[in-house]
Amino acid sequence: MKLQYEIQGGDFSAAGRASSEVKKTLKQLNISPQVIRKISVALYEAEVNVVAHAFKGDMKVDINPDRIFVKIEDEGPGIKDIAKAMEEGFSTATDEVRQMGFGAGMGLPNIKRNTDEMRLTSVMGEGTTLEMMVKF
Amino acid sequence: MKDRNYTHAIRINTDKCIGCSHCMRVCPTQAIRIVNGFADIMPERCVDCGECFRVCPQRAVYVKDDGLAAVNAGEYRIALVPSVFIGQFPSEYSATQILEAVKEVGFDDVFEVEQAVDFMKKEYKTASQLNVLHPLISSYCPAVVRLIQVQYPALTEEILQLKAPHDIAALYLRESAVGKGIHPDHIFIYYVTPCAAKIVAAKAPVGETTSPISGTINMKEMYNKVSKIIFGEKKPGLHKTYANMTPDSVNWSLSGTEKKYFPGRALAIDGMENVIEFLDKLESGQISDIDFLEMRACDQGCAGGILCPGNRFLAVERLEQRQKKLQKLKNENDGRVNNALMEYENALQANSKTDPVYPRDGLLLDEDMEKALRKMDRIKKLLTYLPGFDCGACGAPSCRSLAEDIVKSKASISHCVFVQRVMEKNYKLSPDQAFTVIEKIWGRNRLNKYQDSYGKSES
Repeated sequence: MKLQYEIQGGDFSAAGRASSEVKKTLKQLNISPQVIRKISVALYEAEVNVVAHAFKGDMKVDINPDRIFVKIEDEGPGIKDIAKAMEEGFSTATDEVRQMGFGAGMGLPNIKRNTDEMRLTSVMGEGTTLEMMVKF
Repeated sequence: MKDRNYTHAIRINTDKCIGCSHCMRVCPTQAIRIVNGFADIMPERCVDCGECFRVCPQRAVYVKDDGLAAVNAGEYRIALVPSVFIGQFPSEYSATQILEAVKEVGFDDVFEVEQAVDFMKKEYKTASQLNVLHPLISSYCPAVVRLIQVQYPALTEEILQLKAPHDIAALYLRESAVGKGIHPDHIFIYYVTPCAAKIVAAKAPVGETTSPISGTINMKEMYNKVSKIIFGEKKPGLHKTYANMTPDSVNWSLSGTEKKYFPGRALAIDGMENVIEFLDKLESGQISDIDFLEMRACDQGCAGGILCPGNRFLAVERLEQRQKKLQKLKNENDGRVNNALMEYENALQANSKTDPVYPRDGLLLDEDMEKALRKMDRIKKLLTYLPGFDCGACGAPSCRSLAEDIVKSKASISHCVFVQRVMEKNYKLSPDQAFTVIEKIWGRNRLNKYQDSYGKSES
């Protein structure tokens, strides 16, 4: 089953809407609560990343009986040093964003921790693509 | 592991129900459908919150308790009374007078639930140190616990594995009565309940194999009996001479007191809608840095319970006054509190934990993943045909609910009145067939009341 959601950059008040919809869907399937939790956390972090850093993005979800695959593509500044971005505590978020409680530099490591596979690619000045997979 | 014990206290009286759908629209778990002219509750989804009870214009929703009639004469009978019961009466009547009147109704002993709060306060300190998972969610409100089991399966493991005060109080009463030489088989404890969820908690406790409570009594029934005894007979001389619990214990069931006793950052959330909004955020991982969540399904906590006869705000104010009185007694006694329950602290501690709470199947489309995914795809497709009005004429609370019912073979697309019109236009459905469909939802004689000007039924 496929789902798709748009994410608006800068709209912090709506951050979490897409991941919340996916979570609602997962709850109707026979998936263990712990796995739902992991997916919810990873999706939320990924969604916030788009809101905080990009102009806009979209989330494509593909669910089949043994795993969920999510691809989030955004149009934005891109990530200069992916290895560095994966370090805990590293963040390029502006002070404004940090004051809102985001940008602690835990987002990407948190996604990695909560997924079985994660792939991050980026083209500077164009955007970033995050792919992740969680087995049920 | 799944919890499949679906015991409920909320019932529908089909003699009174006219299938008007008020209940269906307010149910927070979408557990109600209109079938054959009556409201029908899905047991796997109902959490006994009582929102349907509040709105039913026919008074067809009722709460099944054991009642005073079930109280065993000849045995040792103890009434377990929550503080909100005392808050139902004007402050001129002392707590002692009210509790004495409860005893007069037909009990050998009476005990206030909130005396167990001193025990809870201590346990919360220990719990905060033992548990790594944060935030922990209070196990106090049984409607909230069941809501989490049905709607937020991923959060069940965050529910504090600690019995509620009414259970702790009942355990104490059993222990202490045995100490007085009464045989355990002859001790019967009756809980005077402010809501339906507490009845279910006493009948089928989550995370416990047996309940120490023998029966439940609707607070309204007890209120009527006690009112008759004390009405107009204020006995200002009849009151306690010492504080039998810490003063703010009397507010524990309301909103905002419990959270103060969990070390760290805590929130108090009351009202079903507020609880749902917050749990949604919590489950998505949007909340961090919070250590404890006190949650009450009812606005103003148990003072807003569906079986409380009085006004919730008056009850809250009276309990605040009562706290002041207890504080005065405590001060007069050099700050001492004589709570008999705390003498049994060690014995209670050994029995105060519950087993983990497991999710329920309320939202599941199918056990089989492939089938569930196919059903999900069908729901998506069906939603493109349904109007999105959520009018409820199909007997389901929303177009989405109807789509779910259709894929679960519990309804058909012709239940939708919008789709019906299209089907009639395309000659897929005759007006007579459409009429039969409507009668299946709203009841056989439901449409007979619409008569033309000659007094002849249009059906």
